Amino acid sequence: MSQPDIRKWFVKAHAKGNDNSSKSKKPEPAISAPKNPSPATAQPEKVVQGGQENSGRRKSSKYFATGKQNLKDENEMEELPTKRKTQKGSEELLKPPPAKKIQRVDDDEDEDFVLPNLRKNSVNVTPSKKLKSGSGAGITQKPVDSDESDEDNIGDKEAETPVKSAGRGHGGRGASVALAGRRCKHAASAVPADIGESDEENLEDKNTETPLKSGGRGRGGRGASGAPAGGRGRGGGRGGFMNFGERKDPPHKGEKEVPEGAPDCLAGLTFVISGTLDSLEREEAEDLIKRHGGRVTGSVSKKTNYLLCDEDIGGRKSAKAKELGTAFLTEDGLFEKIRTSKRAKTPAQEEPKKSLDKVAAALPKISPQKVEVKKDPILHSSAKKVVPKILSSGVSPAKRKVQTTEHTSLTWTEKYRPKVPNDIIGNQSLVKQLHDWLAHWNEQFLNTGNKGKGKKQNDSGAKKAVLLSGTPGIGKTTSAKLVSQMLGFQIIEVNASDNRGKADTQIHRGIGGSTANSIKELVSNEALSVKMDWSKHPKTVLIMDEVDGMSAGDRGGVADLIASIKISKIPIICICNDRYSQKLKSLVNYCLLLSFRKPTKQQMAKRLLQVSNAEGIQVNEIALEELAERVNGDMRMALNQLQYMSLSMSVIKYDDIRQRLLSSAKDEDISPFTAVDKLLGFNGGKLRMDERINLSMSDPDIVPLLIQENYINYRPSAAGKDENGLKRMNLIARAAESIGDGDIINVQIRRYRQWQLSQTSSLASCIIPAALMHGQREILNQGERNFNRFGGWLGKNSTFGKNLRLLEDLHFHLLASSTTNLGRETLRVDYLTLLLRQFTEPLRELPKDEAAQNVVEFMNTYSISLEDFDTVVELSKFQGHPNPLDGISAPVKTALTKAYKQSNSRKRVSDLITLPGIKKIPKKRIAAILEPADDGLSEKNDSALAESEEENSSDTEDLEGTADGEKMLQLDLQSLNSKAIQVQVDLKGTENTSAKKTPIGRGKGGSGTTERKGGRGSGSSTKRKR
Amino acid sequence: MLWVDKHRPKTLDQIIVHEEVAQNLKKLVTEQDCPHLLFYGPTGSGKKTLIMALLRQMFGPGAEKVKVENKTWKVDAGSRTIDLDLTTLSSTHHVELNPSDAGFQDRYIVQEIIKEMAKNRPIDTKGKKGYKVLVLNEVDKLSREAQHSLRRTMEKYSASCRLILCCNSSSKVTEAIRSRCLNVRIHAPTEEQIVKVLEFIGNKEGVQLPSGLAARIAEKSNRSLRRAILSFETCRVQQYPFTSNQAIPPMDWEEYVSEIASDIMKEQSPKRLFQVRGKLYELLINCIPPEIILKRLLFELLKKLDAELKHEVCHWAAYYEHRMRLGQKSIFHMEAFVAKFMSIYKAFLIATFG
Repeated sequence: MSQPDIRKWFVKAHAKGNDNSSKSKKPEPAISAPKNPSPATAQPEKVVQGGQENSGRRKSSKYFATGKQNLKDENEMEELPTKRKTQKGSEELLKPPPAKKIQRVDDDEDEDFVLPNLRKNSVNVTPSKKLKSGSGAGITQKPVDSDESDEDNIGDKEAETPVKSAGRGHGGRGASVALAGRRCKHAASAVPADIGESDEENLEDKNTETPLKSGGRGRGGRGASGAPAGGRGRGGGRGGFMNFGERKDPPHKGEKEVPEGAPDCLAGLTFVISGTLDSLEREEAEDLIKRHGGRVTGSVSKKTNYLLCDEDIGGRKSAKAKELGTAFLTEDGLFEKIRTSKRAKTPAQEEPKKSLDKVAAALPKISPQKVEVKKDPILHSSAKKVVPKILSSGVSPAKRKVQTTEHTSLTWTEKYRPKVPNDIIGNQSLVKQLHDWLAHWNEQFLNTGNKGKGKKQNDSGAKKAVLLSGTPGIGKTTSAKLVSQMLGFQIIEVNASDNRGKADTQIHRGIGGSTANSIKELVSNEALSVKMDWSKHPKTVLIMDEVDGMSAGDRGGVADLIASIKISKIPIICICNDRYSQKLKSLVNYCLLLSFRKPTKQQMAKRLLQVSNAEGIQVNEIALEELAERVNGDMRMALNQLQYMSLSMSVIKYDDIRQRLLSSAKDEDISPFTAVDKLLGFNGGKLRMDERINLSMSDPDIVPLLIQENYINYRPSAAGKDENGLKRMNLIARAAESIGDGDIINVQIRRYRQWQLSQTSSLASCIIPAALMHGQREILNQGERNFNRFGGWLGKNSTFGKNLRLLEDLHFHLLASSTTNLGRETLRVDYLTLLLRQFTEPLRELPKDEAAQNVVEFMNTYSISLEDFDTVVELSKFQGHPNPLDGISAPVKTALTKAYKQSNSRKRVSDLITLPGIKKIPKKRIAAILEPADDGLSEKNDSALAESEEENSSDTEDLEGTADGEKMLQLDLQSLNSKAIQVQVDLKGTENTSAKKTPIGRGKGGSGTTERKGGRGSGSSTKRKR
Repeated sequence: MLWVDKHRPKTLDQIIVHEEVAQNLKKLVTEQDCPHLLFYGPTGSGKKTLIMALLRQMFGPGAEKVKVENKTWKVDAGSRTIDLDLTTLSSTHHVELNPSDAGFQDRYIVQEIIKEMAKNRPIDTKGKKGYKVLVLNEVDKLSREAQHSLRRTMEKYSASCRLILCCNSSSKVTEAIRSRCLNVRIHAPTEEQIVKVLEFIGNKEGVQLPSGLAARIAEKSNRSLRRAILSFETCRVQQYPFTSNQAIPPMDWEEYVSEIASDIMKEQSPKRLFQVRGKLYELLINCIPPEIILKRLLFELLKKLDAELKHEVCHWAAYYEHRMRLGQKSIFHMEAFVAKFMSIYKAFLIATFG
């Protein structure tokens, strides 16, 4: 939104200076400088450049620190700006461009500094120093490098950097203009490496110049821009989220006009919002600040510039703020700030900046020194970056040339792929682990392998293969390759594009087997090479990429991979995305598991900044962090996005990234919850229609259910001011109706296959309700978590389905009793109350035996089983009403069960003997179920009997009756009675006979009423299947 | 045995409430020419009883020897085969089934199963009739497609088969089917008739009915004879001998619905709506048909409502009930009704009391 503005501003105020400076720093500055005579405008430019250089330098310095290998890389990276600028020319004039550029850089600075005289001197002085120190560093560094120690160094540096960089950045900004301030963030973030380094190497040079000041500034003045890394991170994990629901509405919600200001007017400022604001919701305020370049963090720290609050509620934040002396700012103050920035863009912007800090206030006075101070580190760092450029006669340019020609057409992901393990972002410890594992692989396995496989088992902890897992784009493959490379392994990579079926990976058969396909050849060759060509290829490593992608085409692939691992004589590195994938379950046991985590957005932003600086793009760090966040940790995607954006613009801002990624983040998996969060969320109203459709179509079944479940919880911002909740109620009614529409449309879609309506459906069931209701979520029940619930409908519907089946069973039994002829609905609506009373009243009132007798008699008339009894009870339970079985003591229940069983066994036997004509259905069903087993039954009577006993005797008799005839009945009866107790006991132990679940259920019901539910559930479900 | 079943008239002659209809039916059957019949009327008015009595009249006591079968039919529906579970209640002379149980697949039941049944002539021609009877329940719940397929069957196999259709509302049965049947409307018994029946049962059971109790039961039963007899017996179970001001226990779910109604009247807020949703779910889970819930809820609300709002609320209730039938997830529509009501009522309260 603000992007066009910014551009305009750029063009107007700085003529083309900025554009050029960003893309090609060459001739323009000279021109632009005269054009913009005012110091104010000139300054930003300068700083901008400084920033760029810084970042470049920072990178270079970092590489320097890491050593030779890095040097190359860095060269390569630095190439890019050169390339870009002189894409056509550079190829022929490989050497000249760098040289030119450097000169130009110097020129630039000179030109710029002409205006602010004071600085000019200092700046002019510094370059030379820069050079010195930079080159010095470069030289000293080179010999130092060693793989492992580097890691540590870097770690240290990284740890230190945020703080320091912050200080630096702030210093830079203090004197500069608003825009510049924002740029300075680059500088700030760019510096870190330098500083880290400076501690180690450059300390002397720098410190001799302005040791005290830089130090003091770094620590004290800091803050403003310093927050980026640390502060923002905390902001992301804001813990206050859960409490949102409890915050009051702003008293003058929506009554004030929200000002529009210059997009960068709050750049570098860090805000903390506390309490309820006057007219803005917290989210609105946050958005407002972010949109104007500020940061919002969750808690007050010394980096915080302002505590935004309208009333002093005396919470922790305000206490802390007072302690730290943080300025308080009211909402009106904020508006004012923004408004003024708009009114007088360039000049006015200076003001807020200056007023930032107490320190800042002091700055102008000391400006000469300050500039020096500030400039110094930057220049130092820039020196380092410049070094390779400057050393036109040095080694690096030569190398660079070569690489330049090679890599011009590469995508950034390839171009900036880390070249040494230390370059990998995040997961350093894992990389180390991988490194160690690989380094020790040979001694661990190969030797033992030579001696005999027996020994391998001894070292049980060590695995022969390693499984790297993690989301795409976080550098798994890269790390694997780099580590292998570093240890001098020859890499064989097999990925999903290769056929990895079973036959293929048979290492042990060697070349003798079919050599038809690639892997096999590869693997078998390697296996051989281990033995034979040891001298030629000292070490090889097999990287199995995308092992979770082994699918239909790779039948038996995983199993075979495991076999391969067992016998392998080379290390195998497997890489997958989802470690918990079903396919990999067996593989996991054979591998050392290393789960890569997503790098933090700060880590990513840092790297992205290096890249963009190398490419000569101006990006601010907030924007990069935003980018890092949007791509969800996927470095590759971030780079791709960045490259894409770089095609169309040279200056990328927060808003650009937001807008770009809003549309391009589509292909990321949107979970229904995220979709609903977005739709109903506070900013739901700002989404475009196609975005909304995309969100709601991300899962067209679940999203509507989630919306339906949660829409009540939102306090619609559309309602505006709404004391009595009437507007909200109206909106809810409308939303509910629309959800109903969605349901109706859904019926059309599903039943009549009118799929063309699917968009209409998502419109009605998601978008309209969300448009009406979006706002702030609040909780309706005490203690509920303020997150969207999962749609209740699915669960309720399945419970309903279950109950309906139970009811159907009951209905069936009633029909079978041929005493009544009623519909299911009638049964539930009219009969059930009375049935329940018929069951429970006697049990409550009469003495237990009589009661049980009565009830059982009644049940028998209607051929109601104990399960049905439970059904009746279950269906009469209402939440908040007493359980219908309350007041019936356990002994009574037991008596009932006993009575039921006795009467039932008697009755059924008699049934069998007398008339098979009117058979009760339940028996019939069970008999039918058992039919297949029938033949077996007569033969192995014992086991069958044992089984069927679980079924509560009666069924047994059924069986026996059919199988062995009536003669047996008497006997059985007796035997059963004697066994009756035994049966009860046995039940618990024999639950595993799957076919007999029903009876078990019943048995349980008898033995413990509390357990009924479960037993019945399984019982009825199995019954159903039959 | 429950009184409803115990004292159910078994023959057309025993029928007290719809005597006239019973006599007409008897004549119809005895004259040997029975057309297709469509019985319709509210629940608890005696349709089923009449049908059973009619069957007995047609086939003699053999019609009472029914067996229940739950059979899975494999139906060939073009590209795939569908398994349909269907419960039938059959004697040698008739088959009773509830085709709407199959939900939206009821069409296949009508097209395949019913046709299959209708095709086969009864083997036993020694019986009085040369045809068998199919009793279809809840015809009004059949989908339109199913009803369309039914009419052809009715014509084609009328020689070997008679259909007796039974439903609550004839308006949901297509014109085509209605015109092929002899429509028999069974109206709900009047309260006097109900009282008469209750007294008759009381006599037979030897229960002392205090004066007025029967009338009160009849009044509460909403002119459903079945309901009246059931609650009569419930009273009996609950407390006997009766006292003069014997409380008539409400149906459990009705009680719950009225709780919901008073919840709604007490407070109109999103929170309350959320609670109401939970309670509605509770009812649905307990297998109370949504239409009945909605109707009952409306009743309860109307009881407490200001006269000027009644019209509007009724309108919306009808509106949402209609939509509920069109849709599938009834809770959505019930919730929408409740939300609508809340919003109307809240506006009304604010307008009236400020």
